[in-house]
Amino acid sequence: MSTINAGNITKGSFIIYKGAPHYVTKTEFMSPGKGAPIMRVKMKNATTGAASEFTYKSNEAVEVADVAKKDMHFLYSDTSEAVFMNPRTYDQVSVPLTLLENKIGFLVTDQKCVVLWHGDKAIGVEIPPNVVLTVAEAHEAIAGNRVNAPKKSVKLETGIEIQAPIFIKTGDKVSVDTTTGDYLARINQ
Amino acid sequence: MQTWEKIKNKPDQLAKYLVREKVVDTVRNFFKEIGFHEVSTPILVSTPSCEPNLEVFKTNLKTFRGTKKDAYLIMSPEYSIKKLLAAGIGNCFEITKCFRNEEEVSRLHNPEFTMLEWYRTNADYTDIMNDFEKLFSKIITQTDPKANLSNWIYQKKSYDLTPPWMKFSVADAFERFAEIDTDTMLSKNKLPEVAKSKGYEISQETTWEAIFNQILFNEVEPALRKYNKPYFLYDYPTPLASLSKKKSLDPRFAERFEVFLAGIELGNCFSELSNAPEQELRFKKDLGERKRRGKSSYPLDRELIKALSAGIPQTAGIAVGVDRLIMLAGDFATISETLFFPAKEIFDLQET
Repeated sequence: MSTINAGNITKGSFIIYKGAPHYVTKTEFMSPGKGAPIMRVKMKNATTGAASEFTYKSNEAVEVADVAKKDMHFLYSDTSEAVFMNPRTYDQVSVPLTLLENKIGFLVTDQKCVVLWHGDKAIGVEIPPNVVLTVAEAHEAIAGNRVNAPKKSVKLETGIEIQAPIFIKTGDKVSVDTTTGDYLARINQ
Repeated sequence: MQTWEKIKNKPDQLAKYLVREKVVDTVRNFFKEIGFHEVSTPILVSTPSCEPNLEVFKTNLKTFRGTKKDAYLIMSPEYSIKKLLAAGIGNCFEITKCFRNEEEVSRLHNPEFTMLEWYRTNADYTDIMNDFEKLFSKIITQTDPKANLSNWIYQKKSYDLTPPWMKFSVADAFERFAEIDTDTMLSKNKLPEVAKSKGYEISQETTWEAIFNQILFNEVEPALRKYNKPYFLYDYPTPLASLSKKKSLDPRFAERFEVFLAGIELGNCFSELSNAPEQELRFKKDLGERKRRGKSSYPLDRELIKALSAGIPQTAGIAVGVDRLIMLAGDFATISETLFFPAKEIFDLQET
């Protein structure tokens, strides 16, 4: 069992809270005018997705969750879960959507991802920093709007909308930054 | 891209940064109208305040002839203002820059921040509660004349700001929301045991104060937040109130309150301790505590003790984070959004 000081917990890491692995979504280090420094941690149960908040003493030892990584492919998602498959063994696993935050809109079938495991449970997914998606809907840019709005809103095959240059057409493939949701480039076929 | 450049590119962004100007004007007008003097005290001092948990920005003052003195940026203007109270200034307020080092740059913290302090003479902490309710309501309605105080929205959540705000004593709140009675709460032996049975990690080094705070943050505050109203938490255990007057009927507690809204601490108020020997003793304890924790050490403010010995009227005072008032008034999620030059941009830091 490895532990870290609560003061060193970082966003995106996994810790054990009330016996279960949790994904850290936010940390806030505070020095109240009176009182020793504290670390407020917001987290999600990595199996159920349930959100919790706990305030640690900053020097308190907190158990770190052991996390193993496996390359898997995204298959499909429904309203509550995303399903991934091991391309060699065809083993499938589902991950609660809440653990993907808002990243589901970047995933199409067969997208390579890294699934995070704690023992035999899938507790999270790492999505590549950028992905290539097809533009499903792009309206002609309105002439005269070029100076103030050199970008327009386009809809991608997954349903999300991004801001793209006005030359982007329906059917184009575009590279998108999965951290910011920004358009990166048009991909030539 | 830095904020000035973003504003240049999108001029409609400017309006949100002007909320600060509106809030500061409202604060100033509020106190001027009720006859408070606005004072201006030094930011660069030789003896900063001695809170045991805060770290100070230290520098040097050097003269042309080679004299070199330790100098510090204030963490609060309180010590200077108290000297003015001894001088007889009466009701007064100050809006000034304060600095705290070794903190995380976060949603609620910028190392350089703006503090509002006001002091009311011949008054106690309940008078400051009234001032605060009135001032805050005015800030909200001046910033947005259409704001509805009974259904005021911050970050998509509705809050009821109509006075009077909720008030809970620390002892009541512990009893109600953490099921810990007053004797247990105050006991250095019993509190760790109860905390242990609740599942908190308690070691030999865990202090009573650390346990008290952890229960406050994990059980009491989340329960109070659910009311979606602002609230005053008052009468803190005396060891947690180094500058406040003990309650005359129950000296285990001191006349201190903190005021919260939307999970954000907005101000910390004391009925000021005016007893010089007792204050000197508490300062010495705090300075010892600073040493123990490896914080920078500096001398005790002798002039303040002298001022208290000369006598100050019965006074209540409060310190309020102005940047947080602006966050709330302008519906901003972070302090950085209220600043033209947030520290994270100036120093290229990652905000947590």
